[in-house]
Amino acid sequence: MDFRLSADQEALVAAVDKLATQFETKPTEFHGFALAGRELERELEEGGYFDIAAVPELGPLGAAMAVERLARLPCTAEIALSMLVRPQLAGEWPRPLALVENSRPGPFVATANTVLVIDGDNVGIVRPQANDVEPVESLFAYPMGQLRDGVKVQPLSSSEAANIRKWLRIALAAEASGLLQATVAAAVEHITLRKQFGRPLGTFQALRHRMAECAVLAGGVRWLALKAAGTADPGDAALAAFHAQESATRVVYDAHQMLAAMGMTLEHSLHLWTYRLKALVSELGGRGGQALAVAADCFGKAG
Amino acid sequence: MSARTSLLPSAVKTRGTRLLSLAEKWPTTHSMEFDWDPAQQAFRAGVRAFLAAHLPSDWESLAHGPASEAQSAFSKRFCAQLAAAGLLVPHWPQVWGGRDADPWTAFILAEEMWEAGEPRGGQYMNVNWIGPTLMRFGSPEQQARYIPPMARGETIWCQGFSEPEAGSDLASLRTRAQKHGANYRINGQKIWTSYAGHADTCFLLARTAAGREGISIFLLPMNTPGILVREIPSLIGEGDIHEVFFDDVEVTPDALLGAEGQAWEIVRTALSLERVGIPRFALATRMLHRAVEVLKKAGRFGHGAIEQAARARAACEAARFYSYGIVDQRRHGIATGPEASAARFATVMAERLASEFVVEHVPEGLCGRDALLLAHHQRAVVAGIASGAAEIQLNLIASELLRLPREPR
Repeated sequence: MDFRLSADQEALVAAVDKLATQFETKPTEFHGFALAGRELERELEEGGYFDIAAVPELGPLGAAMAVERLARLPCTAEIALSMLVRPQLAGEWPRPLALVENSRPGPFVATANTVLVIDGDNVGIVRPQANDVEPVESLFAYPMGQLRDGVKVQPLSSSEAANIRKWLRIALAAEASGLLQATVAAAVEHITLRKQFGRPLGTFQALRHRMAECAVLAGGVRWLALKAAGTADPGDAALAAFHAQESATRVVYDAHQMLAAMGMTLEHSLHLWTYRLKALVSELGGRGGQALAVAADCFGKAG
Repeated sequence: MSARTSLLPSAVKTRGTRLLSLAEKWPTTHSMEFDWDPAQQAFRAGVRAFLAAHLPSDWESLAHGPASEAQSAFSKRFCAQLAAAGLLVPHWPQVWGGRDADPWTAFILAEEMWEAGEPRGGQYMNVNWIGPTLMRFGSPEQQARYIPPMARGETIWCQGFSEPEAGSDLASLRTRAQKHGANYRINGQKIWTSYAGHADTCFLLARTAAGREGISIFLLPMNTPGILVREIPSLIGEGDIHEVFFDDVEVTPDALLGAEGQAWEIVRTALSLERVGIPRFALATRMLHRAVEVLKKAGRFGHGAIEQAARARAACEAARFYSYGIVDQRRHGIATGPEASAARFATVMAERLASEFVVEHVPEGLCGRDALLLAHHQRAVVAGIASGAAEIQLNLIASELLRLPREPR
């Protein structure tokens, strides 16, 4: 065990942070559900950031660090699957990537050049044509889309499928880690500034304790996400995804309680993080799905 | 938008869209690493081999009641054997019987001991913080008198902190140590004192003047006349918590640790040594796996149980890595901040989830079918209370980690 970052990892974190700083603020005129970060995506593409995992000194752990930092931004782009799942695909599969589970709409499907398709126990992959996908209106803070019926999907072998499911879990956890941190930070900022009964809301112990518990959950997700990216162990991936979805349900609720009506507005950025978390909560079978993976990969071994 | 930020211009070159690292420019001597190195693996294996060789076959039933008559007697024998094998205080300085091992060694040792049911009994406190605190603040005479028996595994201490009117608000304690000629005369009462029934010495907080700055520490032999110990029957196990009464207990000035009024500073240092505390997640994880095995064998590991087991297992793993983060900071000489409170709270939650899983799905574990499952439950119920309430940790996280404005007083 040694949690110091290498010089390369430190340089990566600094570079991603510097890039992210340019996108920290939401345009004041934006009052929509999902803020697409097209300029962010262009910067990442041109800077070669989507290939971080392929750099031996950075690897998937470096990619997970980048994913979680970039998820803290109010704008969103297809980052997590490109950085953490695409390097696992055999052959050339162009980004952006998207995931469609059991025919449901998914983030970035309408603009994806590669779509992973989960149908029950099967995992497949397809390069959709323009008329294979269509955008879907939703409350979620990702641009959502769906795959039209009848699109022919190339099946993955069972070992490939298991590996892709594992990296999807790691990508989910890394993205959720950043979103949880941003959600906690937004709630903390609000109750620090907002006064009621003549004092900041953040001085009331009932709220302080709830936010402290949320911060502990967010920190735990970060540890498990980074660990899973570092070890690539399927059990670690399942634990990270479970803890991410479990923590998201709690933290999203509490953060909206802290911001009350202000958190209901599209003017405030809170929903840009919480409604991405709500989308992630349902992925890969939700907590029940992750629990089955934990049972197989952690409790399957002798206890 | 500002000029494009190319990735790692000084450390990494790009080839097309691929990145090419220049490792020779900044030699990578380490990187964030989640695996144990060979020396750490060997040390853990050595501790496990020692436990396998030295724990008796009926150990798990003995583990019930960490301060019971039977376990206290066993712990003295066991700790002496640990000391002889160099496994009691490896992280202590050589001059005090250690080998200056790093904080990871100490934590691996603590994990293995706790996972095994803590065969050291109350002596873990000597190892973790009482010994190191005396090394820092004790007089040469106090060090010579008290530290070698700790390093040999021969002595049990208790911690005289809480009082009937002073729990989380420790600074309001009332036990008084008044000058009486050249000596001090101590009067008052402590409560919830673990290990007091078998302790040789008490690390006692008593008031020598008013206010927080008027609290002092006394190293008080428990056989001093005027001390009465009364066990409090409890859920935690036989012989665990006690009331301790001090009635005109006379001690000489050489029992004072540090200076009069220095208790707060010393206790803060002592607590910083104990920041990540007991690695409770280790036994919680083991018991969770044991409970799942029981359910699997009985064909009872269904969907509801699976999801709850996953929840508890994930919480245990989060607590483990929170704690490792603190150990890593210590290893690299980084001052530990409020993350330690987060680690402690994460551990309390993990302990709770694992314990509740057993209660709901393997209740027979609390009915005598499995002594260690029972012992774990008894330790888990006190996880958020012993060593300071979990809610105090939440206050610290809110103020120091989240920087929320403080409550008005």
